[in-house]
Amino acid sequence: MASISVPLGGVGATTAPRPKLSEYLRWSVDHKIIGVQYIATSLFFFIIGGALAMLIRAELLTPAQDFMVDGAAYNTLFTMHGTIMIFLWIVPVLAGFGNYFVPLMLGAKDMAFPWLNAFAFWLIPPAGLLMLLGWFIGPAEAGWTSYPPLSTHFSPDGQTLWAISLHLLGVASILGGINFIVTIRNMRPEGMKYFQMPLFIWAVLAQSVIVVLATPFLAGALTLLILDRVAGTAFFTPSQGGDVLLWQNIFWFYSHPAVYIMVLPAFGMISEILSVHARKPVFGYRMIALSSMAIALVGFTVWAHHMFTSLQPELRIPFMITSMIIAVPTGIKVFSWLGTIYGGRIRWTSAMLFAMGFISMFVIGGITGVMVASVPVDIHLHDTYFVVSHFHFVLYGGTVFGVYGALYHWWPKITGRMMDENLGKIHFALTYLSFLGTFFPQHLVGMQGMPRRVAEYAPEFQAMNIIISISGFVLGVSTFLILYNMVWSLYRGKIAGSNPWRALTLEWMTTSPPPPYNFVGDPIPFEDPYGYGTEASREYLKAMDERFVAPMLNPALRKRPDAQLPAPNPSAGD
Amino acid sequence: MDVSKKPGSNGQIPLLPIALAVVAILLGGFVIGATTGAIFPVQASTAAYAIDQLFFVLLTIGGMVFLLVQGLLYYSAIRFRVNDQDTEDGPNFHGNATLEFVWTGIPSVIVVVLVFYSWSVWNQIQAPQPNETTVHVLGQRFNWVFTYSDPLGRLEQNPDLAQTFTSNQMYTYVGQPILLQIDALDVNHAFWVPTMRIKQDALVGRQTELRFTPTREGRYRVVCAELCGGGHGAMYTYINVFPDEETYLREFVDPQVNFILNPPDDPVLRAPTVLANYPCSGCHVLDSLGWVGIQGPSMNNMADTAVRRATTYNAPSPEYYIAHSIRWPNDDIVPGFNAGVMPQFGASESEPAQVEGAYYRYMPDEDLIAITAYLCTQTTAPESPCGDLEAIRVAVEEQR
Repeated sequence: MASISVPLGGVGATTAPRPKLSEYLRWSVDHKIIGVQYIATSLFFFIIGGALAMLIRAELLTPAQDFMVDGAAYNTLFTMHGTIMIFLWIVPVLAGFGNYFVPLMLGAKDMAFPWLNAFAFWLIPPAGLLMLLGWFIGPAEAGWTSYPPLSTHFSPDGQTLWAISLHLLGVASILGGINFIVTIRNMRPEGMKYFQMPLFIWAVLAQSVIVVLATPFLAGALTLLILDRVAGTAFFTPSQGGDVLLWQNIFWFYSHPAVYIMVLPAFGMISEILSVHARKPVFGYRMIALSSMAIALVGFTVWAHHMFTSLQPELRIPFMITSMIIAVPTGIKVFSWLGTIYGGRIRWTSAMLFAMGFISMFVIGGITGVMVASVPVDIHLHDTYFVVSHFHFVLYGGTVFGVYGALYHWWPKITGRMMDENLGKIHFALTYLSFLGTFFPQHLVGMQGMPRRVAEYAPEFQAMNIIISISGFVLGVSTFLILYNMVWSLYRGKIAGSNPWRALTLEWMTTSPPPPYNFVGDPIPFEDPYGYGTEASREYLKAMDERFVAPMLNPALRKRPDAQLPAPNPSAGD
Repeated sequence: MDVSKKPGSNGQIPLLPIALAVVAILLGGFVIGATTGAIFPVQASTAAYAIDQLFFVLLTIGGMVFLLVQGLLYYSAIRFRVNDQDTEDGPNFHGNATLEFVWTGIPSVIVVVLVFYSWSVWNQIQAPQPNETTVHVLGQRFNWVFTYSDPLGRLEQNPDLAQTFTSNQMYTYVGQPILLQIDALDVNHAFWVPTMRIKQDALVGRQTELRFTPTREGRYRVVCAELCGGGHGAMYTYINVFPDEETYLREFVDPQVNFILNPPDDPVLRAPTVLANYPCSGCHVLDSLGWVGIQGPSMNNMADTAVRRATTYNAPSPEYYIAHSIRWPNDDIVPGFNAGVMPQFGASESEPAQVEGAYYRYMPDEDLIAITAYLCTQTTAPESPCGDLEAIRVAVEEQR
């Protein structure tokens, strides 16, 4: 059993210069600038979406509809909350991490198509603006799923803006997905085969395949919806030959795979964080990589489980079978992660706590996922708070916990500064507990008979809803701890150095933050991205730091894309 | 989990702790599963028993998975924790094919079992029953209208009369197998009875079906479970389950059939039955009929309101104002409410709606007369401020 001691690479060293704030506010083709632009933009929308959630919970403190002026105004809240959280927070924040770290983890100088990359990002601010402008002309109020005819003949003009906005966001996603696939296919460094790629890259690859194949279906559905609304067509109007189930089928053919678009990169983040902070190789690397692809493919065959109460009865059982099958590759991941941390040397860093919190919450979402996959049970639970709880356990307890973990883990690389660990731990404890308090009781009210999307509910559910709302308010406040920590660390945070966690993947083999061209020369990947606990990995870290990273602090070298490192000094020795 | 790989163990597998953990997980799963009955509401249909049993199995297995994963997670996080400043690595251990086979194989087997079990429950709850009674339900913003035919065939002997009767609540009795035919008028809705664990979407343009058999006497909430607009949360009604067929016939069917066979001359007495044909109660409050809707203006003391509104709106009489507001609901919008929300109840079978996109529905003059006459009685004054029946008839005809 190897018991290896490695010096903390570069902590306390001089920090590398950060890009100026103005560089983030204008067009840039640097994938790192674009990555931060994605993350910052999505955090802005996260706050807006969160504020809407607070208003929803305020309305639900009492069974009567009292806080909101009318039911339609309440419907606007959850419609915009869902749409913003999905399309303007989770999807772009994951794209931001992908943008920043995929090229770095590949040892590349940028994405394959830098200009396209910038273009994809710059579609997002106008799309977000269109979404918000809806409030001035009667906002969308048909839920994020926007089933017709409610979304066609019974919705105000904001619904059209909503659809156009999603169209733009979909284009941004597709362009980003193509870029990731080409980058990963073509820009891997010498010595990195597919099965030597970090698992985050595998996850982004699987995600990008889904994005490219599924998002066009959303575009198709939205086009039909817009035509029905503004051009007098009747794709979804039965009295003129249309069909309301047509929308549900096309919409979910995109939107179920979209669940994996939203969770697969988080799986990748978790694999990175668990291995690095438990100092132990990922258990069953190949199975985790392949299960991402399996989930991506099987994910295309399960869409109609969102329609168990509207789909033709004879079609329900086949979709139950595929939906249950997808539990198997997901289970493999969870057990592999447990195998990864078991027997490791676990640091309770904020990143690690959120990664372990991810497993803790995601498994609950997985279990309830199997429950609602069962047709007879879903007949009762469909469109209740049970489902609301289920997908928040997957997308908040899962993806958002993963993103928090990734922020704590990679923030030092992005900014050169460490976030405060004590505040990070308080943030974790508060988030973990208030998340449970907010979403666990929702299972119970749903089972007892409370439908989702109502401003008015039966009085017997009030006690539970008060617990949910108060926990929800705490959860909302806890978000500001990490936002504060991020800003605080920029000025007061400990200087991180190139590799504060002593990780083996290539993004750490450069300065923090990296220079515009990422690396001077081409970094050499270690044969196993998670080869902790070996003498070779220790030697690798030491050699990379001395020969590769340290000279990069030289300002003259950092500015030149064609710069070569000076030849290693033979006297330095190993 | 493979405890033999635990660092620091001397190669011996600690069988006793593992055995205890397995027993705790299995027992714990059953304890979690056993909460099923406490969480769900009462069981009021045959489907409820079958679905709760299935849920119990799912929750038990889920509870075991929950305990296994959280147990290992918390155990690992605490047992293998080191100081944040620690610089050593863990073992260079990459995996174990046997373990991976086990945690792929066991979930696969569980999934197959759950698929077949769920499938059999599904076949059971949707199987056609002998002697099914067909009831039709129409979902519309924001109310349900149930349509029945006479089980004793009394109406069929009088083909000139209406062959069906309607209500805004559903009535049935214990043990009556029901086939519900579901339609949606405007947008999609969903018919859900939580105590019976049954739900089916009402789709515009596609009739859907739902089968169930009530097993418990009582009055249960029917909830709309598909977002249908601003009044979605208020769109609920009740299903009334009588103890037996005799009571059902006596309490519900006979008065309805008698009403059709011997309709009262007085339109005011006819009005409650007429109103059950329309979705008014989904959006308006009217205490005398038990309406609780909140999307539209209150109908309490409507005759007094009509006197005031008739003045502002320059209507010749309160009855004219009431009749006009039903035929042409977008002409005078009460402050605080929106145009285009209330369906337009026109005088002919079909014609374009007054406001583009608004819903149009046919309402014969006879019905409007009954409704107007009834609303004219809603006053705090000793006498109705409206004109007599003939004046109401004239006011209604003037709306054409």
